[in-house]
Order: sequence, then C-alpha cells, then structure tokens
Amino acid sequence: MNTNEAELAVVVRDLEKRFGKFVAVSSVSFEVARGEIFGFLGSNGAGKSTVIRMLVGLLTPTSGSGRVAGFDVGTEAENIKKHIGYMSQKFSLYDDLTVEENINLYSGIYRIDRAKKKQRKEWVLEMAGLRDHRHSRTSILSAGWKQRLALGCAVLHEPEIIFLDEPTSGVDPISRRQFWDLINDLAGKGVTVFVTTHYMDEAEYCDRLGLMDRGELIAVGTPGSVKADLMKDDILDVHCQRPQDAIADIEQLASVKDVALFGRGLHVVVENAEVAIAEIRKSLESKSFVIERIEVIPPTLEDVFVSLIEARDKAMDVRKVAG
Amino acid sequence: MMKPIRVWAIARKEVVHILRDPRSLMMAIAIPMLLLVLFGYALTLDVDNVPMVVWDQSQSQTSREFISRFDGSRYFSIRQYARDYHEVERSIDTGKALVALIIPTDFGSDIKSGRAAPVQLIVDGGDSNTATIAMGYADFVALNYSQDVAIREIARSGGPKLHPPLDMRPRVWFNAELVSKNYIIPGLIAVIMMVIAALLTSLTVAREWERGTMEQLIATPVKGSELILGKLLPYFALGMLDVLLAVLMGEFLFEVPLRGSVGLLFGMAAVFLVGALSLGMFISIMTRSQLLASQLAMVLTFLPSFLLSGFMYSIANMPPPIQIMTHLIPARYFVVLLKGIYLKGVGLEVLGLNAVLLAVFAVVMVALANFKFRKKLE
Amino acid sequence: MFERIQQMLVKEFIQTFRDPKMMGIIFMMPIVQVLIFGYAVTTDVRHVKTAIHDLDNSVVSRELISRFEKSGYFDIVEYVERDERATELIDRDQVKAVLRINNGFGEALRAGRTAKLQVIVDGTDSNTAGIVLDYSSKISLRFSQQVLMTRFTRIRGLAQKPGHVTLETRAWFNENLESRNFYVPGVIAIIVMLITLMLTSMAVVREKEIGTMEQIMVTPIRPFEFILGKTVPFALIGFADVVLITLIGVFWFEVPIRGSLPLLFSATALYLMTTLGVGLLISTVSSTQQQAMMSTFFFYFPAVLLSGFMFPINNMPIVIQWCTYLNPLRYFLVIIRGVFLKGVGLEILWPQLAALAIMGVVTLWMAASRFQKRLT
Repeated sequence: MNTNEAELAVVVRDLEKRFGKFVAVSSVSFEVARGEIFGFLGSNGAGKSTVIRMLVGLLTPTSGSGRVAGFDVGTEAENIKKHIGYMSQKFSLYDDLTVEENINLYSGIYRIDRAKKKQRKEWVLEMAGLRDHRHSRTSILSAGWKQRLALGCAVLHEPEIIFLDEPTSGVDPISRRQFWDLINDLAGKGVTVFVTTHYMDEAEYCDRLGLMDRGELIAVGTPGSVKADLMKDDILDVHCQRPQDAIADIEQLASVKDVALFGRGLHVVVENAEVAIAEIRKSLESKSFVIERIEVIPPTLEDVFVSLIEARDKAMDVRKVAG
Repeated sequence: MMKPIRVWAIARKEVVHILRDPRSLMMAIAIPMLLLVLFGYALTLDVDNVPMVVWDQSQSQTSREFISRFDGSRYFSIRQYARDYHEVERSIDTGKALVALIIPTDFGSDIKSGRAAPVQLIVDGGDSNTATIAMGYADFVALNYSQDVAIREIARSGGPKLHPPLDMRPRVWFNAELVSKNYIIPGLIAVIMMVIAALLTSLTVAREWERGTMEQLIATPVKGSELILGKLLPYFALGMLDVLLAVLMGEFLFEVPLRGSVGLLFGMAAVFLVGALSLGMFISIMTRSQLLASQLAMVLTFLPSFLLSGFMYSIANMPPPIQIMTHLIPARYFVVLLKGIYLKGVGLEVLGLNAVLLAVFAVVMVALANFKFRKKLE
Repeated sequence: MFERIQQMLVKEFIQTFRDPKMMGIIFMMPIVQVLIFGYAVTTDVRHVKTAIHDLDNSVVSRELISRFEKSGYFDIVEYVERDERATELIDRDQVKAVLRINNGFGEALRAGRTAKLQVIVDGTDSNTAGIVLDYSSKISLRFSQQVLMTRFTRIRGLAQKPGHVTLETRAWFNENLESRNFYVPGVIAIIVMLITLMLTSMAVVREKEIGTMEQIMVTPIRPFEFILGKTVPFALIGFADVVLITLIGVFWFEVPIRGSLPLLFSATALYLMTTLGVGLLISTVSSTQQQAMMSTFFFYFPAVLLSGFMFPINNMPIVIQWCTYLNPLRYFLVIIRGVFLKGVGLEILWPQLAALAIMGVVTLWMAASRFQKRLT
C-alpha cells in the first residue's frame, strides 16, 4: 500500500511497547487508508488494546513511530485527541448520570457549538435508539444500549477517525449486528473506523484486517487475501460418530496438520485434500467409526488464524529445542 | 489555554455526582457540625471536680476545716472518705479517685503549735495533664490555707490585722472568662476545613481511575487543568458552605465573639480551602486508588492539622525540632489567622505574613496537582 | 469449608499486601502517630514569653520579678516602658503575658499594706492562659507567704512561726508526669480502631464497586466464610500494629509496661471484634468507597474524642458521659493504661473486659446478620 501518506488516516512503523521487561507490542507496522474499516484481531492479551491506546495517545510508545490524522503519536498526542473518537474496552461513561447528561458532558468537552449541540444530541439519541430513555440513568441500560451510547458519545464531534476497542464484547448477537450496521453507516459517510475484536465473524465485515498474536502483527490484508494467501492448507469438515474419540486417531495421520472439534463434527487442517480424505476414510473405517460425510470447505478466518498461530507455536518449539 | 466550556461541563458533571450521592453530601455537612457540637459542648481540657479520696487520720476540727477547703472549691470533688491505706490504694487503682489526700494523725496539734504539718498528696500520674493541674490546685489550696492560718494567729493574739501582702490581679485579654470554647472553636474551623477537603477531593480522581471513566476522559481534548478546576469548583462551593455554617454556629449557638473583619475571615478561608482541596486532589492523582488515597489523606491532612497546627496544643510548648516542622503545616497559619480575627480583632497589618504563607500554600498545591496529572494510562 | 476460608484469606492477603504503598501506609501511620503523640503533644506549659512593665523599680519589685524568672516557666523577652508597647507585643503574639507592677509597690509592702501585681495574659489560648495564671498565683502566694512570715516574726518575736501545711506530693504510675506515658499507650487504641475500621469497610465496598463481589456471590461460599476472609487479615494487621506501637513505646519512649501482656492481647482481640464488626456494618450501608470513608469518619471522630484519650471524660457534660459507656474505645483505653502504667490485672479490669466482650459479640452478630441478608 504505497498510497500517498496524506491519504492515510493511520500510519504505524515498528511500533513497540514494553512494560518493564514484558514486551506487549513488538515491531508492528501497518497503514489504514481514509474511510476504511480496519479490523484488529487477536486473542486476549495479544496486544490489540495496547496498540489502540498508543494510537489514541493514552500510552507512549517505547520505540517506533506512528501518525494518526497526520499527527505524531509520541509528541502530538493532544492534537490527535481533537480529531478522533475513542470507545474504551470497558464501558466508561457515568453510571449515575442519565443518558442525556452523559451526552451533554461530552458535548461540552468537545466544545460543540450551541447551534449544533441540540442537533448532534438528537442524532446520537436517534442512532442509539435511546430517544425514550434520555432521562434514564445509564446504570439501568443493557449492555447493547450502553455500547451504542458510548459509540454515540465518541462520534458527537464528528471526528474523522474513530477507534473502537472491542465494542461488542459482552453484547448479544442481534445487538452486535445492529452495532455493525452503525459502523458501516459511519464508514459510508467517510469516517475511518479502527476496531479491535476477538469475534472472527465480525472480521469479515472489515475492509482490511490485521492479525495480532503475542504482541506481533502476523498478517495484514483484506479478509479474502488473508484467507487466500496465508492459507495454503485445505479444511475438511468431517462428520462421524463419537467425534471426540476420533480426534486421537485422526491426529496421528501423516497428512493431517491439525484437527479440532467444530460443532458436532471435526474440522481437519490438511495440506492436500484428496490425499487426506483417503487417509482419514481408511483410518476411521478401520476403527469402525461410521462416517457420515467428509467434504472440503472454504476456510474461515478463524481457521486461518488458528493455523497461523499454531505454525508460530511449532516454530517457537523448534527454536526452543534447537537453542 | 483553558476553555470555560470544558471546565463548566466537568463542573456540571461533578455537581450531578454530588447531588446523586445524598449520603456523602449529608455527611459533608454533618461531620463539621458534629465536630463543632462536640468541641463546643462536650470537650474541654479544663480540669474541674477532680475526684478525690481523703484519709483523715487526724479527725480534728482543724483537719476538717482543711479538708473543707478542698471540698468547697470547684477544683476537687470528694468521692470517698477512706478508712485505711488499702482503701486509698484501691480507689486510685480502680480510677474512682484521681487524687488522694492523706492527713496525718498529728495534723491538728501541729498546726496549733506552730509546726509544719506534713500532708501527703497522691496523684494518679496516668493522666499527666489532669495530674499536673490537680497538683497545682492542691498546692494553691494548701498555700492559701497556710496564709489564712498565719493571719488568724496574729489577729487572735491581739496583733494588727495583717493583709495578705501580695494581691495578684489577673487580666485576661481577648477571652476574659477564659472560656475554652472561644479558644477552640475558631481554630476548629481550620481543622474542619482540612478534614472536609480531604474527604471530598481525595477520592474523586482516584475513583474515576478505578472505575475506568478516566480513560474515556483523557482520550478527549480536555486538559488536565480544566479537569482539575472543573472538579474543584463544586467542592469549593461545598467547603465554603461548611465555613459559613461553622461561622454561623459559632456566632449563634456558641456565642464566640467575632471581633475582626468578616470579609477577611471568609477571604482567608477561601484561600485555605483552595489549597486544602488541591492537596486532596493531588493525593487522588498520585495514588489512583481510593483505598490508598483515603489512608494518605488521613496522614497528610487530618492528623497534622489536628495535632500540630496550634489548634489544641500550643506550638510554643512543643520541642523545638517539632516547632520547626509545624511551619510546613498550612493549617498552622490558618489557625493563627482565625484566632487573630476572632479574638484579637486584628487584621492584615498584624497577620499579613500568615496570609501570604497561606496563599503560597494554595498556589503550590494547585501547581503540584496540575503538574502531576498525566493524560496517560501509565 | 476451611479450604474456602483459606482461599479467601490468601486472596485478601495478596490484595492487601501486594501494593507496597498500602503496606507503607499501614505501618507508617502508626509510627508517625506515635512519634507525634510522643513528642509533640504536651500540655506542659514552659518558656512562656513574658514582658515586664515595672514602674516601681524597687528592690522588692525586682525580687518578685526574679522569682518569676527563676521558676523556669517564664521567659522574659522584653522590659517595656509604655503601655502601648505591651499591647503591641501581645497583639503580635510576641509575648503571651505581661507582668505589670505599679509605682508604689515597694512602699506599700514596707508599710504593711497590700501591694498589687497585675498579670495580663493573652486569652486566645485559654488553656495556656489558665495555666499561666495558676503559676502566677502560686509564685505570688509564695512570695506573699514569705513576706507574711517576716512580718509575723517581727510581731511575735523570732523563731515563732505559724503553723502551716507542707504538701508532699507523689505521683503514682508516672512519677515524672510525662505526657507521653499518657498518650503513647492510648495511641494503640486509636490506631487499631482506625486501621481496622477503614480497611474493613472500604475493602468490602471496593469489591462491590469494582464488581468482583458478584463473582464471589455466585460461588458456594457461605456468608460467614466471606466475612472471616474479609476480617481476619485486618485483625492480623491490627495485632501487628499493637505489637509495633508497644515496641516503639517501650524501647524508644521508655514507657513502662507493668501489667500482663496476655491480658493486653486478649483485650485487643475483644476490642477488634467490635471494630471489625463496625467496619462490616458500615460496609453494609455503603455502596461506594466514598460513602464508606465518610461513614467511617462519622463514627471515628466522636469515638476518639469521647473516649478519654485526650479529653477527660470526667469533665464532659453528664449526658455525654453516659453516652461514652457505649464507646468501646473507652473501655479499651482503661485496660491499656491499666496494663502499661498501673500494672493492674484482671481483678481490677474485669468490668472493662466484660463490656468489650459484650459489645464485640453484639456488633459482630449484628454485622453478620445484615451481611447475610445482603449476600442472599
């Protein structure tokens, strides 16, 4: 992506963050173009929140550089805060304030001028579906509404970039869907959205993705390219009886790279589908497992992610053994 | 530069927090009133009616007359007439009496024949303050009695009526009746304000860190100085309300005379309050934990202002190294100002230095709080 | 069950002790307080700054003044000539007392009349003022007595003295009347109460505020196990503080400790029951740490002020004296002072111990049942 830097909302080069001896984020580099929905995936503790917090100016990078909205994350953090909106992982609006009072607070903080204040407030209330609850204390709202309110407060001042840290964790699937509708809406209006999540299905909604594992960025690209480029392997969907027992046998097979329970069946990661299917069939039948079906399925992002991580794990073990 | 809109937005939010926690609000008003009532009515270092046990081995008219000097005075209250030493011991051991008067068998004849009559006084040294004062009283009563004996002797033997040679006339300035209320209540205002300031502000910033709401705030353009000022304003109003209450109670309930300038009083209170609130805020900023902040607040605000400010215990009586230390305690200057304004009726011409130091304290605290506040998570 | 209690205890210990700042304060606070009470707090009055306004300037007036100076209580700062200067000195707090002797003092004394001495004191510190007046009265009386003796012998002849009383004073338990022997043992009582109260009430509410309480409530833990887990660590801290202050008091300040240590510790245990109970009670009525802190102080201030720690209960209005019977601190102070200074034992202190036991049981029971209701 060698687009003109002026077109880039976020540019990060070799960003690193240490806490004492612990390296939370190591040598991360990526770019986010204007108007993109950029998703940051990874399991808990991978370093996603730390990256976001550096970009938003809440933490100072130990080394490396980054630019958000044209400002340097190390030295111009306060300028960044004027141009972005942020939603922290933990709900951080005030419990004992009403919905409207929370909105008024952030209205004042962002110095939205009087003419626009009312209009923006009504817009947020409408967007969050909280018109009827404007006078309710935030403490009584359900998680889904709280998140929408937080999102609303983050975009009150119409920022060009918004950073959302796990905005849908703890929220029911329907609310999650609705939340993503809101995000898409905003992106459609030209807002750059930088979002972290550990829900793999949400990753599919993003324009581009970054995958983090243990502080390192292990993959960047569109969902399609990530799946295609990085997933050299095939995925088999195997349904048989007593799948939990079958795992042990399938694991031993030479052509099988990995196998895991998935729903009522098994997902098996293999290098070559044809060879593997034959081997599995032979093994299962010999042990009298009744096979219902075996078929090749397109890999999901979850599959990609898991296999990437396992590859890294194996490499690390090899290094450990070697040195 | 600070933007008024932001400060106002923060202040408004703080006001809502305060109003929606009626219990804390009530206590912010009740605690000062409680302290005022306690010190105004219940607490005094004055010593009166010291419980006494008497063992009169003489049982003569002379001894009874001597004893009546103690009984009749406001200093002592005779609780028991012991019949032997053991009863005296028990009385003091159990705390029934703090002082024991033991009159020897020959008391009457000694006095009549012009000899020295040795009387034993035993004090419970545990409460050294009361003991010292009680000893002083007893000394006084004994001396007075001896003087009266001498004068009577002369008059009886037909000599001229001697007057007590020396008449000491006490004149007490500023607090003629030596009413300890008048001395305690002005200084108490300083202690109250320190305590309230600590209680109110020491938790406010730490609480937001603990709950996570601070993270959201510092991701916005709001400045540290705007946050601090916004938080200070409502607590300042509350603090001044407490001052007003204390002054009104002092005036109408306890009738402590206020001889100096009311304007100066409130002006100095405002300066002190700013400093005290900022100190509380500073503690909150440094600790980021409410539990820790509350402990620190106790040690840094309440304790020193209660014990070392000159409010209760005279600084002049403390060991010199400690006297030097008290110069670091802001409440000390405010206590001098308060007592000066209330009792002496003096103004800045006498109190100027204290006022300046108080202002320095306020400025330093505000600067420290602002300096230490970081808009970063670590 | 014991396993669960153990787990809770371990967690609580880790939480409390992990933070070095917390540990610092828990142990610094008592040390600071002991030092302050040991050194700074004293009601002894010495070196009273005095000005002399002697208009008579005779041998006897100077003799009287030197009596004041020699007493050690008065520090003569200035000899003033005019009233205005004396006024100024008092206004500016440069002297606390002025001794004023009028012209004709010496003559009156020689003539056998009464001579006047005016003692002007700054009443803004009425405690000191009262004591200064007492000293002055005594010095004056002694001076007076001496003059009287000379007149007496002149009239009645030599070697004839009137009968008089000599007072031999002995102070029990604290021979030198050191303030610190009074205060330092008392500090134990107030520190222990503060620490256990504040830690208990805030620690429990903290879990409510942060939300971890909910997590605990869904486990099979029983209320009393939770309570034990929350109170035992703080009880231990309380004991540690008792030991710490006792050590400092005995070895640094040389406060005598004449009574039985086991008695002291059993009394501490009973006392802790009440303070922990009150801490728990406070936590049941508070939903935020802010409320817990304020409620703690609302209870703590009157408890300390009305306990006999600083202000003699004897001199309080009767109604308030009755109220102090409900104050556990009152009983504990009697026991502490009894053990340290008086060296008395169970036979004298049993009423206080009984009172503490009753209060402890009642408070804990009330706290536990309220807690029960909230947890279930």
